[in-house]
Amino acid sequence: MSEEPTYETAVARIEEIIKRLDSGDAGLRETLDLVKEGRELVEYCAGELDAVSHGLEELRLDELVARLERGAQHEDV
Amino acid sequence: MSVTPDPLGIEALSDSELPGPFPVGSYAARLRDQLRKFARVQLVGEVWNYRPARTKVYFELRDARGALPCSMWQNEFGALGVTLTDGVRVVVGGGCDYYPGSATASPSFSFAVTELRVAGEGDLLIQLERLRRRLSAEGLFELQKRLPRPLLPRTIGVVTGERGKARDDVLAGLRRRGWRGRLVWAFAPVQDRQAAPRIAAALRELAAVEEVEVIVVARGGGSLADLFAFCDEGLCRTVALLRVPVISSVGHHTDRTLIDDVAAVCCSTPTHAAEAAVPLDCVAARNALSNHTRRLSGHGKRAIVDRARSLAHLSRAPTEHVARHRTRLHQMLRELRASARRSGDRGHERASAHLLVLGRTVDRARGSEQARRRTELERLALALGAHDPERTLSRGYALVEDRAGDPVTSVASARRARDLRLRFRDGRVGARVSDTEEGP
Repeated sequence: MSEEPTYETAVARIEEIIKRLDSGDAGLRETLDLVKEGRELVEYCAGELDAVSHGLEELRLDELVARLERGAQHEDV
Repeated sequence: MSVTPDPLGIEALSDSELPGPFPVGSYAARLRDQLRKFARVQLVGEVWNYRPARTKVYFELRDARGALPCSMWQNEFGALGVTLTDGVRVVVGGGCDYYPGSATASPSFSFAVTELRVAGEGDLLIQLERLRRRLSAEGLFELQKRLPRPLLPRTIGVVTGERGKARDDVLAGLRRRGWRGRLVWAFAPVQDRQAAPRIAAALRELAAVEEVEVIVVARGGGSLADLFAFCDEGLCRTVALLRVPVISSVGHHTDRTLIDDVAAVCCSTPTHAAEAAVPLDCVAARNALSNHTRRLSGHGKRAIVDRARSLAHLSRAPTEHVARHRTRLHQMLRELRASARRSGDRGHERASAHLLVLGRTVDRARGSEQARRRTELERLALALGAHDPERTLSRGYALVEDRAGDPVTSVASARRARDLRLRFRDGRVGARVSDTEEGP
């Protein structure tokens, strides 16, 4: 996958890979390449799930805007 | 107004010129009596906040200049056979009434309706429908629906009332998905027509934050009149042009607001809106990923192990092939031997039988040949006996021989020999030829 993956494109590609592997038509080299690609995508998806699993963070919009503005000021400095 | 002063004798306000103090219940009763004296009339307006109760139905009668709370006895309303919804234009007949309340019940004023007739669709609903058609014709209902919605957003914006129940419902929906990311609240009034600009501003500010991937606009239930802020044209145009997908959950399906039409997704409850904002069930997704990992590992292992087994099998194949053929050859050899043995036994039996038959035939042939030869011998013996010279001599004849003993059978032979010997049955005597005479 050349583009930056999203969760949905990554899952779709994983399912495509497993379908190809299940077919039994892939040779040794292709199988190993697909398994490697699939594992990388699974890790990516697990990372995305981890990002929304650690704990709910509730912010008011003005708090978020203030935080972003502080971040922008630090970058300027 | 004639009201009896307080029997308890409570002092009046010292610096007031007003009469009293009167017991409030007495005053409320007098007020009810006065209001009931108002002329009974017919009114026309639109029904809003229709609420059926156990004994009465309640609604407000509104037009652009004002409103009046109305009530009607349930049995009288039921007899009419009409269905009221918010916005319906009706003509009612009745008069003012006032419930004075008590120590434990609140007072209330209402226009007591005794007659009612539906006059047609309300002006507000007509205006709403016109606006809906115009926005639809401009294609504003489609813009939000074309936006891609993330399966697993990290940051969600929510516009809702700060103290409404919708807030808890949104949190419940997100918990149900197992989602614990970043939630940005943009609180705004959500009750009346003046709320629309505040809601639109909150939406624009949320959409301006790059991290916000989807926005939920939520409000709990209410009548369409309460939800009219969400039918505001400016608000709907703002939503349609946002870069972030908006999920609306305003009121109920029976009260479809314009923001429901404009939004990317419209849900019946804030809980469902939260679930729509996170289409992925995080717990199920994690299980699915584990399953994917297992399957990928299985394929990876099998790709190596199966091929290694296949190679090992192929490497053993020639030896096994030879061994298989050797076994087969041995088997064939055993079968051949057994077959030959069976065949020899049968041939021997047949040869023996044949030999026996031949022997018997020879024996039979041999017996008849011997008899035949014996008969022939006997015949030859008889023939020889007939030609035996001894038998001739015995009958008185003599045999003429020369000195050598050879028979002399002619006169010429006798003349040449000169000395002859005569052989008789009982012996021989010499003789000399003196004369000869030929002829018989």
